[in-house]
Amino acid sequence: MSTTRFLDPHVLARINSLDLLARTVVDGFINGLHHSPYFGLSVDFAEHRPYMPGDDIRRVDWRVFGRTDRFYVKEFEADTNANFSVLFDVSASMGYSSHGVSKLDYGRFLAACLAYFSRQQRDRVGIVTFSDDVIDYVPCSAKHLEIVLHTIDRLEARGRGSFEAPLLKVAEILRRRSILLVISDLYEDPATIVRALDRLRHKGNDVIVFHVLDPAEVEFPFDEAAQFEDLETGERMPVVPETLREEYGALLAAHRQSLIDLMAQHQLDYHFFDTSAPLDYALFEYLSRRERMSRVR
Amino acid sequence: MSFSFLAPLFLAGFAAVAIPIVIHLTHRERRQTVAFPSLMFVRRVPFRTVRRQRIRHWLLFLLRAAAVILLVAAFARPLLDTPGLESAALGTAREVVILLDRSSSMGFEGRWTRATDAAKRAIDGLGPSDRATIVLFADRAEAANQATSNAAVLRSTIDAARPSPRRTQYGPALQLARDILEASELPRREALLITDFQRVGWQGQQDLRLPDGTALSTVDVSEEDAVNVAATGASVERAGTQDRSSVTVLGRIANLGATAVADLNVTLEIDSREVAAQTIAVPANGAASVRFAAVSVPDRETRGRLRIRGDGLPTDDDFHFVVAPPQTMPILIVHHPGARASELLYLREALSIGFDPSFDVSVTSTARLAAGDLAGRAVVVLYDAPYPQGAVGGRLTQFVRDGGGLLVVLGRRTGGAAWPSELSESLGTVNSPTDRLDARGGTVSILDYEHALFEPFGTPRGGDFSAGRFFRYHRYQPGSTSVVLARFDDGAVALAETPVGDGRAMVWTSGLDNQWNNLPVQPVFLPFVHQLGRYLSRYRQTPIAYVAGQVIDLDGDDALSPQQPAQDASEEIVVETPAGGRFAIEPDGDNRTLELEEHGFYLLRTLETADAPKVIAANPDPVESDLTPLDPEELTGAIAARDAEEQRTAELAAALTPVQKERRQGLWWYILIAALFVLVSETLLAGRLTRGKPLGPRSAET
Repeated sequence: MSTTRFLDPHVLARINSLDLLARTVVDGFINGLHHSPYFGLSVDFAEHRPYMPGDDIRRVDWRVFGRTDRFYVKEFEADTNANFSVLFDVSASMGYSSHGVSKLDYGRFLAACLAYFSRQQRDRVGIVTFSDDVIDYVPCSAKHLEIVLHTIDRLEARGRGSFEAPLLKVAEILRRRSILLVISDLYEDPATIVRALDRLRHKGNDVIVFHVLDPAEVEFPFDEAAQFEDLETGERMPVVPETLREEYGALLAAHRQSLIDLMAQHQLDYHFFDTSAPLDYALFEYLSRRERMSRVR
Repeated sequence: MSFSFLAPLFLAGFAAVAIPIVIHLTHRERRQTVAFPSLMFVRRVPFRTVRRQRIRHWLLFLLRAAAVILLVAAFARPLLDTPGLESAALGTAREVVILLDRSSSMGFEGRWTRATDAAKRAIDGLGPSDRATIVLFADRAEAANQATSNAAVLRSTIDAARPSPRRTQYGPALQLARDILEASELPRREALLITDFQRVGWQGQQDLRLPDGTALSTVDVSEEDAVNVAATGASVERAGTQDRSSVTVLGRIANLGATAVADLNVTLEIDSREVAAQTIAVPANGAASVRFAAVSVPDRETRGRLRIRGDGLPTDDDFHFVVAPPQTMPILIVHHPGARASELLYLREALSIGFDPSFDVSVTSTARLAAGDLAGRAVVVLYDAPYPQGAVGGRLTQFVRDGGGLLVVLGRRTGGAAWPSELSESLGTVNSPTDRLDARGGTVSILDYEHALFEPFGTPRGGDFSAGRFFRYHRYQPGSTSVVLARFDDGAVALAETPVGDGRAMVWTSGLDNQWNNLPVQPVFLPFVHQLGRYLSRYRQTPIAYVAGQVIDLDGDDALSPQQPAQDASEEIVVETPAGGRFAIEPDGDNRTLELEEHGFYLLRTLETADAPKVIAANPDPVESDLTPLDPEELTGAIAARDAEEQRTAELAAALTPVQKERRQGLWWYILIAALFVLVSETLLAGRLTRGKPLGPRSAET
């Protein structure tokens, strides 16, 4: 039996244990790749640079000082294990599902898998959940995988979504540069989103954005007129789907395109996921792009 | 074949087709609220009105519209109205009643032939499932056959029928036809009336309407301007007291046509021998009398016939009559031995001049009266004499009991009028005389004109009893069974009748000798005495002729020999009909009757009268000679049933069996099943379409 069969989001949704789920996905995925060249060991020497006031004198390479009588500081590829933190949008809109797997579930799978994956890389993992405010915050730690998985496991979609305030707070919380994985449906003005994310990136974080949408949000396949209720605001509107399907699609496409353009401009890594797409495909897509970008970098 | 609906009002439901149209043009909002992550983009789309929409899901729409149409059509109960179905429901079998007039008038030249031809054509038109009954009618109707579809039987019935001498009466025939048609279970009813539509046969009966739904057709066999001259009657007069064997015949001839008849030859036949002839003229629509010279007739019942020639209706051209021998009523007057002959003068003379009948008067006194004197007497007059005593008195009483007549004339010698003990109660009490000299005498003021005795005097100028003055009369107290027929002006009884056994006894309280009263010199005296004689002797004038169709009671009041005792009921009577047929009337204890079916002379014989048979003349009813036609529409309009088609429609519903009704209305079942099939398809299709539509996260669906 192919292990990729289990990467179908619908199948994965049947697995109650996120630990088991992440292990299933990641192990199978790694076995398929044989080797993970992207994270590697982080103790490799990178370069020397002149000492700058404020540098930790413990990092001065005394051997070079003995030979050259100048203070150089040793730079490593990664001087220690990286922080991997998931910024999970748990606003009410993330709870939407048209085919069994909600965006929250799908994001939960992604977050769990990548957290497990990072932990395999000996990274420290943490998680921040937010809607219009920070809800849960698990600092990055090598010992926090279980807590992170547990936090992911008990996520509930609720509240109105916002990027400005919670991400500003996240920027203040995070002390170390981290790999930040933002999972959200991004129902916000693209400029606002990018502005909030850009603030994180400016602090040295590597920001990756997973834009997760349900197929119904993309295709808008509704047929009968009905009262549509906004999951976040509770606002209701009489909607005749047939009449606005095309324009809705156009608006959504413009929204996504705007996000793509703005994030590219601000060096934010943007990925779009359809919750009906297989999880390994999503992971592969993501890691492949990370690899390409790391090479470019 | 036509298509209709039992409940067309339901067709208004076709308007409901608008419902699926509206549903498919407008986008019905679901009751469930569709949860959606964000209306951020939806909010930006301008609102559209429903008018800009178009029908979605054409197949679903068509299914729904078809379901509505089929449901409406099913509830409207469609009918496929085919003639075949109606015929199957009602059937085509007919109950036909052929009413064939066989009255005397149908013997007019050519009528009977035309009538029978029409009847046979109707028979030929019968189908194998039809039934016909032939009703032959004149003044009464009879079904000549049981209802049958056998044409041969029907035709033979027609062939065997002949016109009768009876008169026309449509009532009994129509009544019989109605009964037959009402009793019929066949779906179609028809009546065919074949007649000459004589006006005399229809009295406008309003209750003779044929059963509803009966199709009435008529065949008029009469001719325009039919001329008919008929010998309608005759009277026979004896020449007088001198020559009792000569009679004078007065004939009556009627012209019932619009054309005067001149030189009509009328002959008189006696015993089938022409004895006289005259030529007369009869005006149009008028009558004429013809008096023949006196002819001698034998002293027995003699057959006479008036005959005219050259007429289209021969049955009424002959008038048959019987000249009976003169009748004599033997009367015995019993007077007081001391009475003078003059006292009996008025009574005896009055009776002696009577004829038709004549009275054979014998006179004797109570002293000489013997029991044998009563033999053969019709009436005994006890004239101012006491009731005989002893054996003679008993014989007189028995005479009365046996049917004889007794007239007791009270006078001055009557005294107390001691009746025999057996009659004392019934004859009453005679008291002393009363004088009315002071007031110029009394009068007879109260007469029972309804009594047979005084009935002839009840008509104007029938006789004036008030002219008689009564100066003295006995006070008479009638017996318990007596009936007072006349009273004086003071209320005293003048004449009373008492039934005694089979006979009659009368008491006259004031004498008949012009002493106690002057009645004997009044004009009314003679007819009064004669009427007394006729009544007490039970005289009844024998009709010279009867009308065909009459029924004669041979043993009762219609006894053939009134002056003689009725026919011996134990004797067999052999009847010879005018057509030559013979049949016997057996003694059966009841009154024997003879119905005169033919016209002509009937001869009745018993063993005793084998050589001198009783002769009865029968003639067609004279009213039948009037051929004046009736407007057929007047008759048919009065008897025609309710509109046949309307009734047939009404009967259709009633005649249809439940199975046939279901067959007629079964279409709606099929349509309803089709509608259900369409609805099921619609449900499946709608479900399929709905399943493909995401409504929102499960958690948001309520």
